[in-house]
Amino acid sequence: MILSVPNVVILMVVGLLGVGIYALLTVRNLIKVVVALQIMVKGAMLALVLAGRLQGQENLGQSMALTVIVADTIVAVVGLALAVQVRRVVGSLDLRALTTLRR
Amino acid sequence: MAMTWLMLTIGLPWLGALVIWLVGDRDEKFTHLLAVAFSVAAGGAALLLLPYGKERLLFAIPMGGVFGDFTFVVDGLGVFLAAIATVVGSLAVIFSVDYMHGEQQLARYYAFVLFFIGGMAGLVLTSNLLLMFFFWEITALCSYALISFHNDDPKAVAGGIKALIITQFGGIGLLAGALLLYAYTGSNDFQPLLENPAIVPAGVLAWMGFGCLIAAAAKSAQFPFQTWLPDAMEAPTPISALIHAATMVNAGVYLLARFYPAFAIVPGWREAVMICGILSALLAAMMAMVATDLKRVLAYSTVSQLGFMVYAVGAGGVFASQFHLLSHSVFKALLFLAAGAVIHSIGTRDMRQMGGLGQHMPLTRAVFIVGGLALAGIPIFNGFWSKELILEAGLHGNPLWLYGLMVLVAGLTAFYTVRMIAMVFYGEARTGLHVHDAGSAMKVALLPLAIGSLTTWLLAGPFGHLLAESLPAHHLEVHSTWAMVEEVIAAPATYLALGVVAIGLLAGWQRKRLIPLGQALGGVSKAAAESFGFEAINRGVVIATQKLAEALRVTQPGLLNWNVFAIVCALLILLASLAVGGR
Repeated sequence: MILSVPNVVILMVVGLLGVGIYALLTVRNLIKVVVALQIMVKGAMLALVLAGRLQGQENLGQSMALTVIVADTIVAVVGLALAVQVRRVVGSLDLRALTTLRR
Repeated sequence: MAMTWLMLTIGLPWLGALVIWLVGDRDEKFTHLLAVAFSVAAGGAALLLLPYGKERLLFAIPMGGVFGDFTFVVDGLGVFLAAIATVVGSLAVIFSVDYMHGEQQLARYYAFVLFFIGGMAGLVLTSNLLLMFFFWEITALCSYALISFHNDDPKAVAGGIKALIITQFGGIGLLAGALLLYAYTGSNDFQPLLENPAIVPAGVLAWMGFGCLIAAAAKSAQFPFQTWLPDAMEAPTPISALIHAATMVNAGVYLLARFYPAFAIVPGWREAVMICGILSALLAAMMAMVATDLKRVLAYSTVSQLGFMVYAVGAGGVFASQFHLLSHSVFKALLFLAAGAVIHSIGTRDMRQMGGLGQHMPLTRAVFIVGGLALAGIPIFNGFWSKELILEAGLHGNPLWLYGLMVLVAGLTAFYTVRMIAMVFYGEARTGLHVHDAGSAMKVALLPLAIGSLTTWLLAGPFGHLLAESLPAHHLEVHSTWAMVEEVIAAPATYLALGVVAIGLLAGWQRKRLIPLGQALGGVSKAAAESFGFEAINRGVVIATQKLAEALRVTQPGLLNWNVFAIVCALLILLASLAVGGR
């Protein structure tokens, strides 16, 4: 495989998504879940910029990435706020403590 | 101009629904007035649209690349059913002014009624199968909301949910048909399919045909989906009239008649349609003979008469089925509204507690008997002519035993009609019942329907030509009204059917003497009272679904990691299938 710029970026995208999914599958701490989501979104953002570049529509790709940054910040803020509330109400940040929601 | 009337026919009820919803329950009289005004205006627009039916006009509203054009077709079948939905619907609304007097939450009631009427008008006027599916689901939603209108009554809520679930099941069949049509023709417009069914491969056409049969059977409460209609009787009576005569159940028969040219060539489709119609007609007529709830008898009779129409489509008599649909919607609306006047007056639906009501409600008795005779198929009432046409259509190139069964059902119809009239209006008067005749708004709604039951058969000629000219794909053979009368009078089959009907009438009148016979057939009547086990099947399905859901609960531990794992698995399966099938 040639070590061109797009290939390197694709490797980074796959790596970031992989780390995020692995974390989502294994971690039990709510704060860590939020962090994992952030890592995955960064990978997606990178993919958007790359796609714009490859299609010759850099402006579109980058503006989509900016939009995602805004939305992603909100996700992080709400996620962390929920984590604080969960800690207060349930007394723990462990995901297993939240399984009572299914009833 | 036709475009304007078309848009008004669909748009006016919906606009009315919106306005009434926004106005709310501030002033009862104003709400009644708004509902009547909008529904009558929509009826007027539909009647003005009728003359354009012959020209077979097509309209398209561009909707961009995703949906394609929203196409509407103004042809005989569409304008005729739109006129029934809006005109009979507006009479039901007028009747409601008296019936729903003093009820709570009238705005919710009228908004859904108008939404329902507009949805039905759209369903029959569109030529886009996807759009038809949307309208189809709108009518299902409205019927659910109206059947459960008294939402503090558990039986009403259960009846509504049952109607919703069963008709949804049919909706899946229609959606599958729409998707297949799009996949093979690249458009949702079904006109090309009717003109040339060969554009879709034969195997796929068969799937679509039987999908449509399931959809129609669920919507029109045909075998084996007939159980929702009797339970829908928990609705306020004008709603029953609306569902049974003007809107909902006509949609299934309409669907079969509309797609007849495409599916008639599918092997076994016509036979399946005929069997479905006959079983519905026969089983429902037997259930009507033993039911004691006045509205349930009428509900079973609707299933039975719809069975006649479905049978007629299967036998190739598309015109006869639509003509019977016209007769049926007039006399069934009349029967339901008259029954509503009785129920409103004495406050019970149990026929065993009625009797001798005729002396106190002479007008209601008169119109109910007119409707009943039309239902039983007595000469010169509209039900006689259309039922004879159906029986005759069944004679052409179809097995004779099917015809015999339908004649038998015609006799059973006469029996339960007489039984119903006698139990309600004749016999010993019960004391302690405070009885008053129908109110003035009720009379306004009842009289046109009673006159219609006597006269709509005169429209056979013009109606037939309207259908034949605007539906070239159906290859209809129609005659003038006079020729139809001559044909019916000359046919020996007519007298056979009339003889059976007369025996049915006589048996209904002298049913006390038949008690020994009834006891001999005790098993049958017991089975009929238990709706031949279909209720038990329904309950079984519900219990099985609940048990299955309970068992599947293990797969939902509520753990985030587990859910992410499932998402990743689904993604992998999707990628794998794309890699294999993507070429």
